[in-house]
Amino acid sequence: MDSEIGMPQGRLSKDAVKVWIFKETISSLIMLMILGVLLYFDYSYAWREWIGWIIIVLTIISVLFSIWSIFIEPFLLYKNWRYDVNAEFLQLKSGAINEVHQLVPMTKIQSVETNQGPFLRKYGLYSISVKTMGSSHSIPALPKDVAIKLRNQIAHYAKIKEVEQ
Amino acid sequence: MTGAKRYSPINILYDLWKLIKNTFFLALLFIIKQGTNSAFIKYGRIAFLLFWVISIVYIILKWFTHKYKLDDTSFHIYSGIFNKSNRTVPFSKVQNINRRTSVFHRIFRVTSIRFETGMRGDDAAVEFEVISRGEADRLEQHLKASVRDAREVSEVRDEVRDEIRAEAELGETAYEEMSGNAPPARRIHFRPTRRDTLKASFTSFSFFLLIPLTLSIYSKINDIFHVENEAKGALNSIANSWWVITGIAILLLIACIAFGVIRTFMKYGKYEISSDDDSIYITKGVIDETAFKIAKNRVQAIEITQSIMKRIFGLAEVKLISAGNTDSERDKLEMNSLYPFLPAPRAYEMISELLPTYEVTQEMTALPKVSFWVRLFRPSWTWIIATAALAYFKPVIWGISQAWWLISVILLLLIVVCRILAYFNTRYSINQQFVQFRLGSLTTTLFISKRDKIIEVKVKRSFYQKWLGLATVETVNRAKSVHHTEMKDVPNGLAVTFYQWYLGRREDIIVE
Repeated sequence: MDSEIGMPQGRLSKDAVKVWIFKETISSLIMLMILGVLLYFDYSYAWREWIGWIIIVLTIISVLFSIWSIFIEPFLLYKNWRYDVNAEFLQLKSGAINEVHQLVPMTKIQSVETNQGPFLRKYGLYSISVKTMGSSHSIPALPKDVAIKLRNQIAHYAKIKEVEQ
Repeated sequence: MTGAKRYSPINILYDLWKLIKNTFFLALLFIIKQGTNSAFIKYGRIAFLLFWVISIVYIILKWFTHKYKLDDTSFHIYSGIFNKSNRTVPFSKVQNINRRTSVFHRIFRVTSIRFETGMRGDDAAVEFEVISRGEADRLEQHLKASVRDAREVSEVRDEVRDEIRAEAELGETAYEEMSGNAPPARRIHFRPTRRDTLKASFTSFSFFLLIPLTLSIYSKINDIFHVENEAKGALNSIANSWWVITGIAILLLIACIAFGVIRTFMKYGKYEISSDDDSIYITKGVIDETAFKIAKNRVQAIEITQSIMKRIFGLAEVKLISAGNTDSERDKLEMNSLYPFLPAPRAYEMISELLPTYEVTQEMTALPKVSFWVRLFRPSWTWIIATAALAYFKPVIWGISQAWWLISVILLLLIVVCRILAYFNTRYSINQQFVQFRLGSLTTTLFISKRDKIIEVKVKRSFYQKWLGLATVETVNRAKSVHHTEMKDVPNGLAVTFYQWYLGRREDIIVE
């Protein structure tokens, strides 16, 4: 279907994978720490038996989830993210297992901004978020120069307004 | 139109009336319980009086400070007693106009008018709660004229095709006719006959509404008088004789039906749908009169809804989706709906009469067979969660200890039936600049929109949809906030067509 639709070509920065791995590792560690503390309390204060079981189940789930989100998901996300901008549309495509194509007319874009969180800053990347009347879309992790150029380009195209007829 | 104007002084009366209405039951409480000397009543009474005094002072000050002004392009609303605010609302943002004449307004021969914009939040509309009828007409005309002028200016500047200009000139003469106090040249499309209304009152089940209404009045009264305790003895003696019960039941039934019919006549009895060159007008209500006006080019999409009852009686409801619809309390009147009980063929006819730019395609495509199985076997979270809860609690209902799995099975059957119905009801079509989706299981909805009115599209494919060559398509339209319409399990080819169809949007729009 991609070839038929005319798939957008723009890709994210390769460092995006690193950013996601870094971010996911830290959040997994925090989660595991919280669960560890809970397990310790459970053990030393002799909480009810079923609470212990729930914590163990949660730990197993979060370990599995961490493996997925650290070792598999970033690569899949990177591989499948595409975007494109032309004078008329912003095209976005993402998702490996569940694939989403979005088509946003430039004339309907109301604001565009570049953002940089601590993880992105470490690799000199920016994310772009585009707001329309009812929704907001973002392109995660682009190199600085690309991001700023893209932002200015979208801003330029979005300035054109269509006649409400 | 220079100089800011105050609102009509009847606003003060209106606000007082609202105050009395809202605090009526509370006031009753404090008056009736005069004998008691409990601290709550004592201090409550003082607080209540204080509240009243402050409210009245506020209402009067409000009238002195709140003003409005119209210039060539916008409304200017000045409000605030201590914190002054000045709000400017350009006419071009007004999506539709709403007029409501309640009993109060009738007594003083005034009306209320709302200019609704597509914005979100409390300030989304310019509202005149009480305004003389002449002034309301004047505002409406002024707005219409200004918007038209602005349009003409931009047209001349851009040298747009001659025909459009000719059309605008035609409209201009129509406007001049109107401002000369001649009756506006409107064409009436629909007025319900007595039979239509009667049919409506039975399909809407409005007679059942008596029950919650009675209950709510009863509970309010009970809060004050404790009827329940006093009536207990009487109730016991009534319950003992079966014929009294039957009598009461029959009486209640008659009351319900009478109530339903009267209510429907009140609400839909005096109904009129009319249009002129660029607007659609809906007026309704016998006692509480409401009038709604929407410019034709502000209609973002159309929805034709049919419940089971309506399908049996061959009726349909046509809704105009527009960006100015408010979801406030008063809009339970569903102002965006054309008459909800239109005979189905008439409904389709009327769409092409009211909105000549819209075309309803009768031939639509059904979903492929494979979608049927996908839909049937897609896990139902409602059922899974309900069954898990039932299996855990194992409730005993009417003394049946096995009730939990019976309920689970019944629920599953219901879900399956709904899904099968939904599969057979689902239809789609993409035709030039129109897209049509029919969705729904028990109640079906036909959604029609134009390419230039759709503000965003989405195509989604989950892993099993990819495997089976299916996709999900979604459109986003402007409404109050936005309106999403999603169609699941269409063939891949349609998804591609749909995506490309939307890419062709550039042909339909004119950029400034």
